Amino acid sequence: MIELIQVSKRFGDALAVDDVSLSIERGELCVLIGTSGCGKSTTLRMINRLIEHSAGEIHLEGQPVREFREEVLRRRIGYAIQSTGLFPHWTVARNIGLVPGLLKWPRARIRERVEELMALLGLEVEEFADKYPSQLSGGQAQRVGVARALAADPDILLMDEPFGALDPITRESLQDELVRLQARLNKTIVFVTHDMDEALRLADRLVVMNHGRIIQQGHPLELLRRPADGFVESLLGGADRGLKEAALLPVSQRMTALDDAPLAEQRVSQQATLREALSIMLWRHADCLTVVDAADTPVGQLSLRQLVGAGDARAAAGRTDTDQAAG
Amino acid sequence: MQTAIRRPVRPTISHWLAPLVWLLLLLGACWGMSWLEPLFRLAEPDSRDIIYDRADFIVLLGRHLQVVGVAALLAIGIGVAAAIAVTRPAGRDFLPMVSQLASMGQTFPPVAVLALAVPVLGFGNLPVIVALLLYGLLPIVRNTLAGLESIDGGVAEAARGMGMTGGQRLWRVELPLAAPIILAGIRTSVTINIATAAIGSTVGASNLGDPIISGIVNGNIAYVLQGALLIGLLALSVDSLFARLQPGSPD
Repeated sequence: MIELIQVSKRFGDALAVDDVSLSIERGELCVLIGTSGCGKSTTLRMINRLIEHSAGEIHLEGQPVREFREEVLRRRIGYAIQSTGLFPHWTVARNIGLVPGLLKWPRARIRERVEELMALLGLEVEEFADKYPSQLSGGQAQRVGVARALAADPDILLMDEPFGALDPITRESLQDELVRLQARLNKTIVFVTHDMDEALRLADRLVVMNHGRIIQQGHPLELLRRPADGFVESLLGGADRGLKEAALLPVSQRMTALDDAPLAEQRVSQQATLREALSIMLWRHADCLTVVDAADTPVGQLSLRQLVGAGDARAAAGRTDTDQAAG
Repeated sequence: MQTAIRRPVRPTISHWLAPLVWLLLLLGACWGMSWLEPLFRLAEPDSRDIIYDRADFIVLLGRHLQVVGVAALLAIGIGVAAAIAVTRPAGRDFLPMVSQLASMGQTFPPVAVLALAVPVLGFGNLPVIVALLLYGLLPIVRNTLAGLESIDGGVAEAARGMGMTGGQRLWRVELPLAAPIILAGIRTSVTINIATAAIGSTVGASNLGDPIISGIVNGNIAYVLQGALLIGLLALSVDSLFARLQPGSPD
């Protein structure tokens, strides 16, 4: 568990982080989002003391980070960055084994751990172990970067725009991979990004920052439905919010039981999001879909009316909409 | 950054061929200079003495190497240490001063340093070593600084963020990555000083400069050519040796 209590960071006269309080539970994936220069990276780097905070307190499992020796603290915290920072003169295997090596694990155990991680991140040991970082594609290098961050099995993982420099397809596949890894490893992750789609896709808790302050934090759906102000709303996509919300909700939430009517021709998986279902409807010019399970057995149906949640005016009324409020 | 990447290189005879050939030519010239007498006679047809014989060339070569070697070791030790010191957080303030001092060292002509050093240190090898040290410091300091500063910001941050100590970062990351550039500086420094050391003969340091100085004094071009030939071959041998030590260097 990570706790920031009224933390501030001053660079000369500029206040980069201003009175930030944040508590991240064990196993939570917390995404810090905001425009560049909003203090999200600084906040992240104060946790492993790459930057020392000027005021307030940062606690790790209840212990102030200042009480740790810097190196000891950092070896306990995984760290992955956008530029990967892989050592160009070390092989992939040696790069991944960096922190276990610093912790003086026995050689055999390091090798075992490296192979385990490479398998976990979909890197063929025979193919990649002896390669140098310059021989890897961007996505492969970032996988190695994530493997290195996970090497000593830290409880906490700090990720600073790790997928920011990748092409959209690679980025999405790595995001999916992170979700899959997180379901398995249950780490406490602090993830910095400026990409809202990435944030919504990953976050258990979304923290919106601006000018060094936290503007709003909470579950992504909560922020989508009740943005605190115009800034949060525009960051969340303004008019696109409906689609972003739909992308977070599974079909199973809005589908209804099958009735006697004939099955609709077009099908959608019950794990798909409402956004995907809507896309199928638009593409196929269909206003009703048959919802199927993994074995392609029909389990329900979804009409356009149900998809958009029409008739649930009560929920819609609860939503703040700063545009309308302002106009 | 391609040059910084160390790939496993299997040392073969052909890999070391160039330095080996130059070295054999150098040693051959030291021992077999008298065979070249007809050639040198062309330059000095009227002189009685064609081949410099006041000392064995191989002895002069040994002394030359000794004085250059000592000066180079000192310059490497001082230069690399100074460059490392001023790139640490504690020494950052001294960075401009050190790089300026090093460039001043090279603007000082070695002859002037010799002239100033002899009254203090006396005749012999000592003033030569001081002159060569000052003269050879700049390329080493400059390249070590450039090498250490060239390290990718992400790599440096990752090294810190992974929990490496200052010493671990220096020895395992910074120096290995800067090594090719540092080595290039040492190569420049040593090659220049092999040539510069010859002027040491003017202040009583006996080395391969002897035949040159003696030839100039006695008006014997053949002596000058012999000294120049040997110094040239020595510089080429050492330079090609460094070229082989430098990873990623094509020549």
